Order: sequence, then structure tokens, then C-alpha cells
Amino acid sequence: MSANTENFYEVLSPWAEADPVAYRGISPRVGDPNGKAIGLLCNSKRVAPPTLKAVESRLKKQYPKASISWFYNTVPNETMDQQPRKGEFEEWLKGVDVIIAAYGD
Amino acid sequence: MYDAVSIEDRQKPVVMLANFGFANDAESASRGKGMPGIRVVATKVPCESTVIEDIEAGIEEAWNDIVNALTKPITAEEQNPKANQPETPARIIFKGTLAEVNQFYYRRGWTDGLPIIPPTEAAVAEMLKGTDLPPDQLLGKLQSRLGKATIEKIAINAVMAGALPTYLPVIIAGTINLLESEQGFNGYTTYGFSTGSWAPFWVINGPIRNQINVNSGSGAFSPGNIANATIGRAMGLIVKNIGGVRKGVEDMGVMGNPMKYTMVIAENEEESPWEPLHTEFSYKKEDSTISVSFPQSYLQHYPPGSDAASILNSIVDNIPRSMRYTVIVNAATAKNLAREGYTKEKIKQYVAENKLVPAAQLLGQIGAQVKPGDKKPSLEEAAKMVPLIRDPRFVRVIVGGGPGAFCVNLIGGGATPGKKEIQKIELPKDWDNLVKKYKNLVPVYAKY
Repeated sequence: MSANTENFYEVLSPWAEADPVAYRGISPRVGDPNGKAIGLLCNSKRVAPPTLKAVESRLKKQYPKASISWFYNTVPNETMDQQPRKGEFEEWLKGVDVIIAAYGD
Repeated sequence: MYDAVSIEDRQKPVVMLANFGFANDAESASRGKGMPGIRVVATKVPCESTVIEDIEAGIEEAWNDIVNALTKPITAEEQNPKANQPETPARIIFKGTLAEVNQFYYRRGWTDGLPIIPPTEAAVAEMLKGTDLPPDQLLGKLQSRLGKATIEKIAINAVMAGALPTYLPVIIAGTINLLESEQGFNGYTTYGFSTGSWAPFWVINGPIRNQINVNSGSGAFSPGNIANATIGRAMGLIVKNIGGVRKGVEDMGVMGNPMKYTMVIAENEEESPWEPLHTEFSYKKEDSTISVSFPQSYLQHYPPGSDAASILNSIVDNIPRSMRYTVIVNAATAKNLAREGYTKEKIKQYVAENKLVPAAQLLGQIGAQVKPGDKKPSLEEAAKMVPLIRDPRFVRVIVGGGPGAFCVNLIGGGATPGKKEIQKIELPKDWDNLVKKYKNLVPVYAKY
């Protein structure tokens, strides 16, 4: 019988500490979309425009009194906050009550 | 997702539509941004699809969920999510045999799948000889989970990768490079997360290349040199264990990329007829630096002749569409180009002016994004040949590789010109002795 000569290692954690992220809640919903302004926020993914078109068509049928507007963020991998069109985006946001955004991914 | 959080912060309710395969990614992004309650509707609309029937079917199937997400009053938890608890990870995390340590780390998702060197106190202490910075010094918080990039955590990951202490200054500089990069590259976020499987490519310049034996010659991208192998590997572990990038959660690369194991080269400054890369960024030749870009593909090509026209056309012919391009020419090829008057700048200019593609290729990229009602290009407009590369600064040229004719085009992404992509490497006071200790650690092959 041979002696157990295997080494034991006491090892340090490579996993970094992270401060807890302060969580925030989401906004109350607006109830019946009829009569509301619905914004469709379309990102740069090529599937996004046809996806939101399909959404728009159903919204029009189900909520005929809702108004619908679009905003296109066509710059890949950048949020609207980073872009020169930020002002235009802010204006659009002011005019809508609720947003449907697409598409990940 | 980030736009969705930003809109909710303006007190506007949002419903985000995502493919079901990205549900975990969406959850991670919303938690990371501090808004775990964002209403994400997972649909079967296929990613990047252009088939209208599939898209409509996906929306039809998800329609009730979309309406609920739009109209259903928010819950108390959604309104006031419970705060997450601070992590208090133990410093000594495990004790066991080599195999047990490796299995423990692997199960936690802390490795790249290859065995690691156990980061013991002694090994980490030796690694820390590569810097004068104190172990608890915080360099910054690395995306995506904003993990604290302390010197000790960097050293631990470097040990795991099998790096030598003389590589630590390079790895620290690489981490600073990631921390200070523009959004999208900070912590390798966008390019680490993207479905495009972009891999960080590190170029080392300056005297440190030779002090730590980074291969710039034959087979520089092949396995067999500790520096090339472990510096990139350490950076990958740092992204994983400090940045918290998890495969299939944040890193959504469809195919993945073997270059993510490591992709490190030194520029062959001694044999290059041109100024080295770092001097293009106003560093002195005597400075040592590390730069990073994010190629997706590695394409070798064989110029049909040694004259400049043959070489340049081979480079141009082998550039597919992307965003940034690194051309790596071997020393002999570089000298052939220089002999005919080509500088790095002239090569960039040539490539940018001569890589022409039918306009349809570029229109195709944005075709699906144009607003309904926008005018579609005529066939004539689509057939017109236009430059693929709109700015010569999107091309980099470096010298590397061994004797022979093959060259490499790296195709992918990288920093916006003028934004962070290079970092000076700072050395400890006792650098010369440390170099002496490790400099002779090189393979000596058997003769046969």
C-alpha cells in the first residue's frame, strides 16, 4: 500500500466582490390602452420592424381608439441616451403613455 | 433593454419583447441596471428573422402575454423590489487536491474549461511581485456585474491562467484598458455579450515584449508560448470572474469563438520597416503598451506575388464586411511593401479606397431597418460599387508572424477612432530582478 502523497491546496476566490445594486420599481401600467398613446420603440435588429408591425396591426384591431407612433433607434449597441438624436427621442417620449420595445435579439 | 430601463426611469411603462432564448440575458441586464421588474415578454419570434409568417406567428402566440404586460397592474414586488444582499465571499474559498480544486472552480463557472493552477496564498504572493500596487487597490468596477477589479483579484485570475509574475503588469494594463474603454467595450460588454462571438485581441508593444518572451514570430498565434497563451487566458478569466460575464447568459455568442481562449501577439518591431503600433497613439517607442480590439474572424491569405500590388490586392480581396480590420503582415512582406514606398498609413489608405463592394451589400445591412415607406434603392443604385471602409482609421496594420508569405486579416470590431484602445504598461521597481528570474523560462526542444 502506498502512502497518500497528494498535495492539498488552500485556494483563494477569483470571484470579485460587487456592491449590491439599488433596485428601483417599474412604473404603474396605464390600464385600458384605448385612448392612450402607444409608442413602438424599434431597435436596430432587423427583426424589430416587422415584429412591431405585427404588434401594431393587433393593437389597431384590439384598441381602435389608441394612437400609435414609432421611434427608430437604428444605431446598433447604443442606447438613445448616447446618441445625437436624444432630444428627438425625449420629445417623442413626452407624447406617449406606454411603450412596446423590440427586439432582443 | 438599457433603453427600456432608461424609459421606466422617466416614469413611462415599457414592455420589452425578446426571443425566449434571451430571457436570462434580459433578466441579467435588467437586474444589472437596477430594475429587475422590467416586463419582458419572451416570444418565439426567431432572432434576426426576415420571414414574416414566423414573426407574425410568434407575436400571435405571445399576444396575451403582451397585453397582460401592457395592462395588468404592477405587483407590490414590481413596485418595490427587495434589495439584493451584499456579497461577502470568503477569501479562502476551498481546500483540496489538484483535481478537487479544479472541479470546485469548474462547477462554479470560474474556469474556461481547461485546468487551472490553484491560486494559493503563496502563488498569489509571488504573482504580486509583478506590481508595486497594493493588493487591495481598486482599479475600477468591471461590467457587467460591476465586480471590483482589485489588484489581488487580477493576480488570482492570472495565477489560475498559468501566467508568470512578469506578465502581471501587462494583465493589469489590459484590465485598465477594459475599464476605461467607451461604453460597449467597458468590461467587454457589448462585444462580450453580442451574438457575434467577438474575441479580445491583444497586441503588446515596446521593450516588455522581449523581457517576457511574447512571441511575435513563427506561429505567434499557435499554442506553445506561455506569455501568448496565458496573458489572453488571464484576461478571459478576469472578464468571467471579475466582470461576471457568463456564457449563455451575458455572453450570447451564437457560435462562440476559439480565439476567446487567448489571442495575443507582440508586434515584431525589430524586423518591421515601420514605426510600431503604439507610436501611432503618441507613446514613445521605449514605452510598453497593450492594445485591444475585438475581431470575430481570423483569415489567412497568400499574396500571389511579392510585389506591393499583389500583396495589397490580396489584403483587399480577403476583407469581408465588418467594422474594424487588423492587417498583420510578416516581416518579409512588410519590407516588400516598404521598398515600394508603402507606410502603414498608405496601406490603410489603399485598403480603404480600394475595398469596393456593390452598394447592395451595405444597403442590405440597413435594408430591414429602414422605416416603412422609405424609398428602396433602384437596381442601378444597388449595383454601384462603393467603398466598404468609410474611414482609413478603421484599419490597423501590424507586423508579426514568421518567415513565409502568409498574412492575416482580422475582421471584427474595435474602439471608435480616438477612444480608448491602448494602455501603457507600468513596471514595478524590482522589475529587472523579476525579469532575470523568469526570462530563461523558454522551451528547449529535443534535437532529433
